[in-house]
Amino acid sequence: MLKSKTFVKKTRSGGVMKIVREHYLRDDIWCGSEVCDSCKQGSPVLQQDPCLESSLCKCPHYILPDTNVVLHQIDVLEDPAITNVIILQTVLQEARHRSAPVYKRIKDVIHNVERHFYTFTNEHHRETYIEQAQGESANDRNDRAIRVAAKWYSEHLKKDQKEEGFQIILLTNDKKNKEKAEEAGLVAYTCEEYIQSLVANPELVDRLASTPDDVNEIESGKIIFQEHLPLSKLQQGIKSGTYLQGTFRSNRDNYLEATVWVHGDTEENKEVLIQGLKNLNRAVHEDVVAVQLLPKDQWVAPSSVVLQDEGTTEDDEEEEKENSLKSVVHESMLKPTGKVVGIIKRNWRPYCGMLSKSQIKEARKHLFTPADRRIPRIRIETRQASTLEGQRIIVAIDGWPKNSRYPNGHFVRNLGIAGDKETETEVLLLEHDVPHQPFSQAVLSFLPKMPWSITEEDFKSRTDLRHIGVCSVDPPGCTDIDDALHCRDLENGNLEVGVHIADVSHFIRPGNALDQEAASRGTTVYLCEKRIDMVPELLSSNLCSLRSNVERLAFSCIWEMNHDAEIINTKFTKSVINSKASLTYAEAQMRIDDTSMNDEITRSLRGLNRLAKILKKKRIEMGALTLSSPEVRFHIDSETHDPIDLQTKELKETNSMVEEFMLLANISVAKKIYEEFAECALLRKHPAPPPSNYDMLVKAAKSKDLDIRTDSAKALADSLDAAQVGGFPYFNTLLRILATRCMMQAVYFCSGMDTDFHHYGLASPIYTHFTSPIRRYSDIIVHRLLAVSIGADITYPDLMDKHKQAALCNNLNYRHKMSQYAQRSSVAFHTQLFFKSKGIINEEGFILFVKKNAIVVLIPKFGLEGTVFFENKDKPNPRLSFKEEIPTLTVEDTVFRVFDKVKVTISLDASNVQHQKIRMSLVEPVIPGVSVSPQSNCNSEPDAKKPKLES
Amino acid sequence: MAAVQMSEAEKVYIMHGVQDDLRVDGRGCDDYRHMEIETDVVSNTSGSARVKLGLTDILVGVKAEMGRPKLEKPFEGCLEFFVDCSANATPEFEGRGGEDLGTEIANTLYRVFDNGCSIDLKTLCICPMEHCWTLYVDVLLLQCDGNLFDAISVAIKAALFNTRIPKVQMIEDEEGTKEIELSDDPYDCMRLDVENVPCIVTLCKIGHRHVVDATLQEKACSMASLLVAVTKKGTITCVRKVGGGSLDPESVFEMIETGKRVGKALHTPLQEILRKEESLGKKRHKVGFLG
Repeated sequence: MLKSKTFVKKTRSGGVMKIVREHYLRDDIWCGSEVCDSCKQGSPVLQQDPCLESSLCKCPHYILPDTNVVLHQIDVLEDPAITNVIILQTVLQEARHRSAPVYKRIKDVIHNVERHFYTFTNEHHRETYIEQAQGESANDRNDRAIRVAAKWYSEHLKKDQKEEGFQIILLTNDKKNKEKAEEAGLVAYTCEEYIQSLVANPELVDRLASTPDDVNEIESGKIIFQEHLPLSKLQQGIKSGTYLQGTFRSNRDNYLEATVWVHGDTEENKEVLIQGLKNLNRAVHEDVVAVQLLPKDQWVAPSSVVLQDEGTTEDDEEEEKENSLKSVVHESMLKPTGKVVGIIKRNWRPYCGMLSKSQIKEARKHLFTPADRRIPRIRIETRQASTLEGQRIIVAIDGWPKNSRYPNGHFVRNLGIAGDKETETEVLLLEHDVPHQPFSQAVLSFLPKMPWSITEEDFKSRTDLRHIGVCSVDPPGCTDIDDALHCRDLENGNLEVGVHIADVSHFIRPGNALDQEAASRGTTVYLCEKRIDMVPELLSSNLCSLRSNVERLAFSCIWEMNHDAEIINTKFTKSVINSKASLTYAEAQMRIDDTSMNDEITRSLRGLNRLAKILKKKRIEMGALTLSSPEVRFHIDSETHDPIDLQTKELKETNSMVEEFMLLANISVAKKIYEEFAECALLRKHPAPPPSNYDMLVKAAKSKDLDIRTDSAKALADSLDAAQVGGFPYFNTLLRILATRCMMQAVYFCSGMDTDFHHYGLASPIYTHFTSPIRRYSDIIVHRLLAVSIGADITYPDLMDKHKQAALCNNLNYRHKMSQYAQRSSVAFHTQLFFKSKGIINEEGFILFVKKNAIVVLIPKFGLEGTVFFENKDKPNPRLSFKEEIPTLTVEDTVFRVFDKVKVTISLDASNVQHQKIRMSLVEPVIPGVSVSPQSNCNSEPDAKKPKLES
Repeated sequence: MAAVQMSEAEKVYIMHGVQDDLRVDGRGCDDYRHMEIETDVVSNTSGSARVKLGLTDILVGVKAEMGRPKLEKPFEGCLEFFVDCSANATPEFEGRGGEDLGTEIANTLYRVFDNGCSIDLKTLCICPMEHCWTLYVDVLLLQCDGNLFDAISVAIKAALFNTRIPKVQMIEDEEGTKEIELSDDPYDCMRLDVENVPCIVTLCKIGHRHVVDATLQEKACSMASLLVAVTKKGTITCVRKVGGGSLDPESVFEMIETGKRVGKALHTPLQEILRKEESLGKKRHKVGFLG
């Protein structure tokens, strides 16, 4: 049956268009219930005996939520306790329209077979389709459609059922809708009523989002904040320039201060300062807000006070605090100051943190302190406060009424005991926005079926390289091997060198769920003892991993080189390889050094090693930088999984051998894809840092009478090489560590959107990532581009769309940055665990930076960096004098310079459970009243659980 | 235009019949053939109608689009006509063959509607000098079997009756920027008053008498004909002579009188049928193009 849907729409040019869509109704849409016999469905989703026990409804029942329940109470619906739910198409479409994240979450729940969520396409069902009636708004129509579908369901099930009393429960928080449903003879409850009635799951109540109605009842009538202006007013204001639109960024150290980073091209007023609770007006970090600039006489300077919201303060006290911000400062320090007048887009996400239990016993309202200090505390309602105490939990914000000091939220999930390794890992993944959920069914469905083998078809389009002695060299314990190498002599006296990269793009086809998931994850994240894969394990550790003695699909880059490592010609081909050995760096090194070994693999390795040395020399001559950063590895106890020892990563010749060929492959591929697709090649660039970045490096070197030239990469590399201080072998490394800090971030970009391609660090005019498709999505795109350019694969529209690709690059850069932060946090956390078990340690280190009131010390042994403060709350401050020209800090009579050797004690400061940190105090040189005496006793008693903090 | 080949004897037969108020198909001189009307046949127009008169088959679609008022009439909307002669009607229309006829009919329609009262164009104004509705009246000839003008005018009237224009509002903020807001209720729309929309009555002079609604055969016997556009009240908005022959003043007066009478008589049942059809609402059985 055909119906047509008609609606009018405003076009972008201001016209009005009538749009007619054909709409087909069917009579073969089944109800999806096991109870029903009349529907000819294959495998019903809804169970015969739904196991939810509710005190409101004794008989078995299915739940049918309306749109608002899905949108606001998704946290409850996601709980595994809730099963057998009917999601109507109307609801799903509305949810998709109004909130993409909620839509994705509900879709994931629907895909999960164990949850028994059924999507009923009521809009196409002959008996449940309704047309918008005269005088009915679109929302009313949808509500009616939901009621009609609920009615249909209850009658349908009644008809088919042998025994009595199978019910459909409509969940709606809309009073009118509920009344109308009850009039129509339906069973309808509000979400709260129903969840509270669940006998077996009382804890679900906490996960309910508070609805605006009941907040009003509870809050006192006192209005703290100004009303937010409606969006239409804001847009007009932004158009006319009275308001500015920008991203709200809270100050990490002062909860009463924030800046708004104004969007737009104009240079002036880039940042607007917001000070005081009332002016902040309920904006939360990362929100897009509209601000109004205050008149110039009300402008203030950013304060340097550290203020933590303690939560118990009364209003007058608050004002006092606010006043304390306003110190008299010079006029030049004043910054454009404004106030938030409205919120354009909330960017709330679920926040990790801990519960600060209310002082009052049996109170149900508690404050929640997020781990991220930029997020305000959130008021939540829970009955399990005592169990949640000391646990890391996740809380979502529901709203922030104008009469409430804090936003209201609800409990989402318990992560576990604070300080626990698993909990903290989870926290750092969540806080760095690393997608780490298990892959959904939809994603897994695109994996190849096992047992998998290479087919005849594959061989036809690929070069067979199985006879060549290919081997892989990786760090120990590596299971996702994405590269393998070979080198052999050619008859004409030249050498053939091949880099073989796992052919991931063969398995991940563009546009499917697997591809989308990988694109969204962007990169594999390596934590200290955990790997968050970008692609499911079947691919990353098996089918794509180029393990030894199995046939694997590869994308090969094969060069013909002469013995001076000059490329004579380059060939790219899809291939089939059979790696002869997977070696670790150490094993490969041993084979090269062991003169008694002379097999194919060893000869191949020697050849590669020789060429790599030539390549490296050439590269360094071109001005490539050799930088350094202290990297550590943990020795993990096999039983407790606690770190027992640290070791700085050691670099072997073979490391650089593999690296050299990967660089060569990346550069060759970058040239090829840019040649072929000048507009849409995905490349990687590393911009040259602005000269001012080098200031601290140059100053630091000057203190040792060394001259660092920074006019070009080559000059920098050369002067770094030349910088040596007698009797101080570690000096050069320190200098390189400092140089690393001056660098810019390398980024992915689309060649059609940029003109500067130069890679500063590698001194290459063009560069991309090709060699690690298992762990980086950028490489998959590069593989696809290369495959198209050699005619091995077909293209697709998104690949050639430079705007889409630029958007993808943005996501990849973001994920890449976040994964690095997550990695660093993970190392920091494990370092803390390590020092927790070690107690207090004395160690030697070098001064890396000198600050106004502190020195930053690097301990080479642990690769650990920490700050020694000379100001202390409880003690009188020592005399400090800081000279900026040659950074020196004089404390009492002792002078601290960069690179000075000092001795410090290292201990763990666990006074703040959420923000544990490593604390360092000075031991040597001895300054009376400042330095502490060495704590050697703790070394002999490693069991000392509680290191003395205040010494 | 589509013409038929006829022998002299056939012509004499027809002319003699007309002389005695007896036409080949049994009608009197002032009678129309059987007429079929259906409205709302094309869903993506604002209003549409299809009229069949004998074998003549006309489809009219009205599309309302937002535009700028004409400079000389800043407070009024616009009405545009376009006539497309489908090659389905006759092979002569293939390519640009139907263009001349199409322009001729369109020009006639402009003249018929070029007066203040046929359609109140002021109601189509949204914002003086800036925004107005332009109604594009597109006529499609699907089949020609004589008396195109009459059938077209009836179809236009029906289509205008059927036209629903979405209601819009001009919203002006403090800065004076105007924005158009659209009601999101599809039922919230404006109707046109078609009370005064004229119908065209074509009178063919055959011998000493004249007939309305001439078939192609009758047309072949006529040297000249007169178009009279008459409103329901009998007001004449346009008179035009077509054809190669001449008409003496006396018979012109006679023909205008007949036109007026027939035209007035045509309006009443037409309005009634349109109203009846609309009152059926969704229950109406649609015939469309397959029926």
